[in-house]
Amino acid sequence: MRDDSLHEPGQALHIEDITVSYGANPALWDIDLDIPPGVMCAIVGPNGAGKSTLIKTALGLVRPVAGHVRFLGRPVAQMRGKIGYVPQRHSVDWDFPTTVRDVVEMGLYQQLGWFRRPGAQAHARALEALAEVGMQDYAGRQISQLSGGQQQRVFIARALVQDAPILILDEPLAGVDAATEAVIIALLQRLRDAGRTIIVVHHDLTTVQSYFDWLVMLNVRIIAQGPMAEVYTPKNLRAAYGRQLAMIATPREESTL
Amino acid sequence: MSALADLLSSGIVRTVLIGAAMLGAISGMLGAFAVLRRQSLLGDALSHAALPGVCLGFIIAGTRDLGSILVGAFITGALAALIMMLIVRRTTLKTDAALGIVLSVFFAVGVVLLSWVQDQGGAASAGLASFLFGQAAAILRSDLWIMGGVGLVALALVLALWKEFKLVSFDADFARAQGFPVTLLEATLTVMVALSIVVGLQLVGVVLMVALLIAPAAAARQWATTLGPMVALSAAIGAASGASGALVSATTRGLATGPVVVLIATAAVVISLLIAPQRGLLWQALAARRARARISDGRVLTTLQGLAAAHHDASYPAERGMLETALGARAPTARIAALERRGLIHPVTHPPETTPHWELTEAGHAEAASLSGKPAPAQDGGTQ
Repeated sequence: MRDDSLHEPGQALHIEDITVSYGANPALWDIDLDIPPGVMCAIVGPNGAGKSTLIKTALGLVRPVAGHVRFLGRPVAQMRGKIGYVPQRHSVDWDFPTTVRDVVEMGLYQQLGWFRRPGAQAHARALEALAEVGMQDYAGRQISQLSGGQQQRVFIARALVQDAPILILDEPLAGVDAATEAVIIALLQRLRDAGRTIIVVHHDLTTVQSYFDWLVMLNVRIIAQGPMAEVYTPKNLRAAYGRQLAMIATPREESTL
Repeated sequence: MSALADLLSSGIVRTVLIGAAMLGAISGMLGAFAVLRRQSLLGDALSHAALPGVCLGFIIAGTRDLGSILVGAFITGALAALIMMLIVRRTTLKTDAALGIVLSVFFAVGVVLLSWVQDQGGAASAGLASFLFGQAAAILRSDLWIMGGVGLVALALVLALWKEFKLVSFDADFARAQGFPVTLLEATLTVMVALSIVVGLQLVGVVLMVALLIAPAAAARQWATTLGPMVALSAAIGAASGASGALVSATTRGLATGPVVVLIATAAVVISLLIAPQRGLLWQALAARRARARISDGRVLTTLQGLAAAHHDASYPAERGMLETALGARAPTARIAALERRGLIHPVTHPPETTPHWELTEAGHAEAASLSGKPAPAQDGGTQ
C-alpha cells in the first residue's frame, strides 16, 4: 500500500501513537510527538527512557507494534537519503580497515545508487563535509588512529555530506572533550540557522538550555514537548527524572516555587 | 626444477593444485568480509552443519554423486544458519552460545548418519568419511568447473556490490537508515560463504574448512590499511596457501593436502601477527623499546646538563658513579655508547682519576635543553 497523500507536512518529524515493546515491557508507550522544521531539538530523559529507541523507531530501524511516523509529511521509506543519521559512536568497530574520507563518502552511497562507485565529485563533497567539522587534514588517515572526539566529528561529516534537511544525532556529545563539544554545537546551530531541523539525543541537563531551543522530555511516555522556555520547568523535570532531579538541575523557576 | 615439472605433468597433481589455489582464493576473499563482520565462527558452524547434508545427499542419490552431496551440504548449512538466527533473535542466548549449540548438534547428527550409512555398506559409502578431513586426491577435473563457477560468481558479486558490502560490514544500522536492504545484503554474503565452504568440503573437510576462511583474512588484516587491499591480499594468501599446500603434500608421502594447506595458512597468520608493520607484535615491541631508550637517553642528557649547571662548567666531566647517583638508576653501557655515537656526549679523562668521564657536547646541550625546556647554559667551553 503506497500512501501518496502527505500527512502532517508542516512538521519535520511527526510521530503518532507509537508503541515499541521489547518482550513484555514497553520501551516506548503511546508516543505522540511533533517537531517543527528549523528547530534544534534535544531529546532528554533518564537512562532507559527509550531515547535511542525513539529515534531508531523514527528511522525505521526498530519496528513499532503500533503507530506511524512521518518526516515532512512522508513515511521514512520515501525520505531515504534526506535524513542525516549519526549513530552512537560505539556502535561500530573503529579498527575497520578504512580511511576517514571513505567513511564520509558512505553518506553518499544512497544517492549514488547501485553498482556505482564514488568518484571525483564524491571525493570533493567528502572533503567539504570534513572541512565543516574541522577534520580536512585527516582525510587520508586510518580511522583506527582517531581520538573519540575526532571519530564523532567524522560521523557528523558523514551525515552532513548528504546535505539532508533533517539531522538526527544519537548522543553526539558523549565522551568528547569540551573543545570538540563547542565545535559540534556551533556547527549544529549554524545548520539550524540555515533552516535545517536538528534532533539530538542529549544526556547533559546542565547544557540543554543553552544549546537547544526545542525540548522533548521522555520517560517511556512523552512527559513534555515544546519550546525550551515552556518545557524546561521543575515540574516536568521531576516528572521525567523523579527523585534524581535534586542532584542534576535547578532551573531558574525553582526560586519562584 | 625438473622435479617440479615432473610433478606438474601429473594430471592429478595439477588438478589438486588448481583446485586448492582456487578454493583458497574464494574463501580468502569472502573470509575477509566474514572476519570484519565478526562472523568468523559462523563459517565453522556452517561447515560442521554441512556433514548431515553430505550424508543425506548420499542417501537420497544412492551414489557418491558430487552434485547431490553438495546440494545436501548447502541445504543443511543454510538450515543451521537459519536456526542460529532464530535462536539469537527469539531467545536470550547470545551468538556464541547459539553457534556452539547448532554446531555440535548438526555435527552429531552428521556423525550418526555417517556411521549408519557406512554400516549399511556399499563400497561407495566408504569414501564419505573423507568429507570429515578432506581428500584432495578424490577431486576431479569436472569439480574444478564448479569451483571456478562459484569463484566467478563470488568475484562478480563482490565487485558489483563493493560499496554496499563495505557499508554493511562497517555500519549496518547506518546502511539500514539509508534504505539499503541490509538483511538481503548480509544474507548474500552468508550464502556466498556457505557456497565456498561447500566447494571446499572435498578438499579440506568439514572440520578444518573454517581455517581457510579466517586465516588468510586475519593475516591480510595485519598488512592492509584499507578494505580493497585487505580483500585482495586475503585472496592471494589463501591461493598461495592452497597451492603450496598441494605441492607439499604431493612431494611428501603421507601428508594429507587439507591439513597441510591449513597449516601453511596458519603459518602466514603467525608471521603476520609478529612482523607486520604497525600492528605486528615484534614491530610494537621494537617501537616500545625505542621509546624507552629515547626516554632513558633524555634523562642521561638532562642529568649531565644539571651537573654541568651546578658546577657552572658547560664541559663539566661527570664520572659514571656521579651520573648514576644523580640519575637514580644505572646508565646502561650500550646507551652511553649510543649517545657517544650520536655526538651528544664525549668521553674525557680527568687526571688523576683513571675512571671514564663524560661531558656534554654542544649538540648534547642543545638536545638536553630542548628536552628539559630550559635554555642551555652559556657556552664557555663545551667541546667543539
